[in-house]
Amino acid sequence: MIPFSRTVGWITTAVIATGLFIGLVIFRLSSDLPGWVTALATVGVVLVVGALAWSAQFWPAIEYRHASYRVDGDGLEIHRGVIWRVVLNVPRSRVQHTDVSQGPLERSYGLGTLIVYTAGTDHAQVMLRGLDRADALAIRDHLLPREADDAV
Amino acid sequence: MTPSDQRLHPLSILFDLGAQAKAFLVPALFVFFGAGSAGIGWEALGALMLIPYAGFVIARYFTFTYRYEAGELVIRSGLLVRNERHIPLARIQNIDAVQNVLHRLLGVVEVRLQTGGGSEPEATLRVLPLAALEDMRRQVFGQRVPAAAGAEGVEGADAPAQVAASVPHALLALPFREIVIYGLVHNRGALVIAAVLGVVWETGLFEGAAERVLGPARPGRAVLREMAATVFGGAGPVASRVVLGLLAFVALLVVIRLLSIAWAFVRLYGFRLSRVGEDLRTEYGLLTRVVATIPLRRIQTVTVRDGPLHRLFGRVSVRVTTAGGAEGTDGGVQREWLAPILPADRVPELLREVLPEVDLAGVAWQRVHPRAFGRELRVSLVVVALICAPVVAAAGWWALAVFAALAAWAALSAHRLVTRLAWATTDAVVCLRSGAWLRYVSFARFAKIQVVALHESPFDRRSGMARVRVDTAGAGDAYRVDIPYLALDTARTVHRELARQAATTAFKW
Repeated sequence: MIPFSRTVGWITTAVIATGLFIGLVIFRLSSDLPGWVTALATVGVVLVVGALAWSAQFWPAIEYRHASYRVDGDGLEIHRGVIWRVVLNVPRSRVQHTDVSQGPLERSYGLGTLIVYTAGTDHAQVMLRGLDRADALAIRDHLLPREADDAV
Repeated sequence: MTPSDQRLHPLSILFDLGAQAKAFLVPALFVFFGAGSAGIGWEALGALMLIPYAGFVIARYFTFTYRYEAGELVIRSGLLVRNERHIPLARIQNIDAVQNVLHRLLGVVEVRLQTGGGSEPEATLRVLPLAALEDMRRQVFGQRVPAAAGAEGVEGADAPAQVAASVPHALLALPFREIVIYGLVHNRGALVIAAVLGVVWETGLFEGAAERVLGPARPGRAVLREMAATVFGGAGPVASRVVLGLLAFVALLVVIRLLSIAWAFVRLYGFRLSRVGEDLRTEYGLLTRVVATIPLRRIQTVTVRDGPLHRLFGRVSVRVTTAGGAEGTDGGVQREWLAPILPADRVPELLREVLPEVDLAGVAWQRVHPRAFGRELRVSLVVVALICAPVVAAAGWWALAVFAALAAWAALSAHRLVTRLAWATTDAVVCLRSGAWLRYVSFARFAKIQVVALHESPFDRRSGMARVRVDTAGAGDAYRVDIPYLALDTARTVHRELARQAATTAFKW
């Protein structure tokens, strides 16, 4: 999960950095504002890109430390969030249906995302990212109704 | 088409066309009033566009059929791409019937079916004859009335028994006085009208139309402008200008309230809430008559709301949320009104009907964390400071008096909020009492709880508190059970308890 998040982070950083850099170059060439404005803009861009790079490299590990989940007979409980923390509890009897999805990058890392659909409004979809694909499928099978007349 | 297939009423062609013409109405108005001398070109073009569309609508009438089959409503529609939709009767939550003046004259009704999820009606049948609506109600809801007669599916013999079992039992009727109070307390209609007037004024449509109708440059039209000029810029002693200004302001308020009452009257005329078997039925409307059905067991949350004006009259407003249909903005079917306005002492009686498992008097309210006041106050003061800072910077030090006044107001609000904030769990619902000036009491049934979330913001963590949020189907923003400022241990206990209750109660749509 961490290498995957890092890769995603770096790709995002690279894209944004390129955009900002090109913007900066255009800005330098086309405007005739005093030199200190351009210098300030350059410093700003450098800071932003630096922050993005730091978060791409170090944030996934921090996030991972605070993320966990538990599946039991009653349902699924997800802990996530570093600064704003959430504990989500989805009872088994409230699971409408589930998806296991894989983006292209997730596929190359062997990861999957479990999406649990409920009848709620805020949490109509509860997502659990960065699972091993086999684990995601196992949890999904576990959350499916056991008996034919389970609460629906 | 099999013998049991039914078509819509033939007049649906007319109403379908009418519904589409509404989309053309606003641009047509712009063209007619705005351009002035554009000639007849645009109008003719618009009319021409409707003709092929009419052909399309007629074809759609002939290809739309529905029938009842083996516990399902089967709707077939579509010209080129044939679509067959199966809606299990047990899944249909609400059948709403809308009739405007034209519908009533012609004896037809527009029916909207809602199933569980989504905010769009699952099926809109425009229009059905009245008998077909009764038939549909019997099909969908009649199966669930405990069949005293025993035999199923034979409508002729059973109908009298079922009707007897489901005689409407009136819970609430709003006479004219209550509607007036509602208009005084709520202000919505006036805002809409004011907004429309504003737009019309801005775009100069009004000028064009008024000139056409009234002739050029009538003196009366400039009254408002002259008054405004006199008050704000003109010569004359200050006192008389202030008085004039105040009078104008008061007159404006009165006009707005009158408009609001008029709007309420049109909207809520003949409001009746009754219980028919296991469902609640609300009927209201003067021009557009709406009959909405709310099955009792599909009520997710109930909220009792009152603001300062409500309290002035000793009234409250009761709303429910059901799954499916978030705000009912389409065609104005407000399924969520249970009692738009209700005397406060009738609330326990109404709640006994709607939430029979709750004993309002016996609810053990628990307060939140004692340090909640400090947090609430800090947040309010920061907000007040942010608002006042630019004012102080711009206008000078006397603005600090404004800051002091606002800060005092913020402190009062925080105190009221925290004194009122309380929560409780019974053996069937979780309740929350909240609000400083606009007060709420919300009830969410355990059987309807979907996801329970425990939130800790960084500020929560610093003071050892947390917030528990209960997610239900179809919950609007202000009507959910969202308990802030709980002590962390209490929050965890409540979170676990609610999750356990939700897990062990079956959820039925």
